[in-house]
Amino acid sequence: MLDALKPKKSTIILYLFIPVAMFVFTVFVPLVTAFYFSFFEWKSGQTIYTAFYTGIDNYKTLISDSIFWKSFGNNIYLVVACIIGQIGLAFVLVMFANSKLTIGKAVHRTFGFFPSTISAVCIGLIWSIIFHSKYGLLNWFVVNVLGGAKQAWLGDSAHVMLYVSIPLIWQFIGYYMVILFSAIAGIDQQIFESAEIDGANGFQTAVHITMPMIMPTLLVCLTLCIAGNMKAFDSIWTMTAGGPGYSSYVMALYGYTVSFSQSNMGYGSAISVGIFVLSLAVIGGSRKLIGLLTRGLGE
Amino acid sequence: MSKQKNASNFQPAGHSHKKASYYVGKVLINIVLWVFSLSCIFPLFWMGYSSLKLKRQFNADVISIPWKTATLQNYTDILGNPDYHLGESMWNSARTTVISIVLIVLFSFIIGYILARVRFKLNRPLYAMFLMGMLIPIHSLLVPIYVVFKNLGISNQWYTLLMPYISFGLPMGIFLVEGYVKSIPVSLEEAAAIDGSSFSRSLWSIIMPLCRPILVTVAIIQIFSCWNEFSFALVLIQNVHLQTVPLALTQFKGQFGSDYPLQMTAMLITMSPIVVLYFCFSNQIIKGMVAGAVKG
Repeated sequence: MLDALKPKKSTIILYLFIPVAMFVFTVFVPLVTAFYFSFFEWKSGQTIYTAFYTGIDNYKTLISDSIFWKSFGNNIYLVVACIIGQIGLAFVLVMFANSKLTIGKAVHRTFGFFPSTISAVCIGLIWSIIFHSKYGLLNWFVVNVLGGAKQAWLGDSAHVMLYVSIPLIWQFIGYYMVILFSAIAGIDQQIFESAEIDGANGFQTAVHITMPMIMPTLLVCLTLCIAGNMKAFDSIWTMTAGGPGYSSYVMALYGYTVSFSQSNMGYGSAISVGIFVLSLAVIGGSRKLIGLLTRGLGE
Repeated sequence: MSKQKNASNFQPAGHSHKKASYYVGKVLINIVLWVFSLSCIFPLFWMGYSSLKLKRQFNADVISIPWKTATLQNYTDILGNPDYHLGESMWNSARTTVISIVLIVLFSFIIGYILARVRFKLNRPLYAMFLMGMLIPIHSLLVPIYVVFKNLGISNQWYTLLMPYISFGLPMGIFLVEGYVKSIPVSLEEAAAIDGSSFSRSLWSIIMPLCRPILVTVAIIQIFSCWNEFSFALVLIQNVHLQTVPLALTQFKGQFGSDYPLQMTAMLITMSPIVVLYFCFSNQIIKGMVAGAVKG
């Protein structure tokens, strides 16, 4: 082995030390401290040195905290809504866009992808103007085009989750479209041609040929979608801040409110650990489930 | 393209019924797609012309275009009033984004290369550690990071956000680089080594130029995530003079909640660098972001 291919230990350490130390400091140190803090009752006015050690009390509270579980439920709601809305709609639109009849594919790509480059805060602000109960665009449309009555969209606690998921879905449809589109471009065109000759219509081709052939990519999209929605925070924070009441809280928002607005760091840390465990469980669990399901399909 | 055109022209003659449904399908498909595409771009237009309206004009009619009454009042208000500190926030975002990206690209390159090529005991453990970094939900770190940074006196500094941004940008960068380096034949480095090139020299003057495409991809992905990042900024920055763009925008909602044209103007101004960048390089940006998502 040549020296240059097997560099000295000191060279490697020199190159790796700073980034690895920084990574450990910002990712793993907080993770451990969160776990440690979660055993304390630590409220506003206290420091970590004056906080009371309370053992697993915070976790007992967490398990029976209905707002936390409601927030978790809302995360799951978002995951399901976005899987259907983002990946489902993206697939349908890509099937349309992929047909020979489409005009202006490049424009659709550029326009459709655009919202996913904008910050979630901006998206939230724009949509809160659209949803506004008095001056909103949606109400303008409902009143002037549909002839209906104005509604307080984001003030409707029964349906608020549906309304806040619309901007989230809309923002990333184009993103998933581009991913699916590049997967379809990788399929051999002859397969589609022979399907057409055999008389398969667009729907049959989509379901029986395209879908199975891009399954790996669809699964990547699914994972991205689940991971993305478990950490939903910015746009909901700007649109409703969790309201009305607690009806649009998600886990991250609840953790933030308890820790910072209510200055309850000890319990906030327990929630943080809860977010960590539940997010990994949902992401890991869905991967296992997908693995099992696709193995079943293969046989 | 020409192939597609030929195919669409290929319609069996005499099937007028089929021809009619063909055109109906064509119109429907294009309508659906155009409605979607225009909805994606419409907010930009709406904000664009609404920013030329005053609050009472907007409240009276949210949709009309101010052909005759257009005014730049909102722009002069925002840019002329230091209380909005919008320019300041853009400078903060730009500085944080640029430094973060340079360091993310640099570190990803070094670590990705070493993990791909150099055999040492900690190689796989390090790889696994960075892999875990991608899985950790950032919101479970907000409280502890706030406490740790505050106790060390490093929150509320101009460099505060660099650490989380770089650390959370690294994993994906490392994976992209690692995968890319593995696709480069080792013989190149072997030849360089025989010619007497040291490890560092090969790294910087042979491998780095070869890795340029993947490094550009890493940079593209991170530009957007750094410029748009909100959670860490919200928790770690309390000083208004250090606010990044997303944070400054939320202040607009609170303070001037009902002045929507003003709010839209602020959004347009702060979005402008990203929008210009996007429409100039949309092809590379889309390609880069999708490559990152699928491989990462």
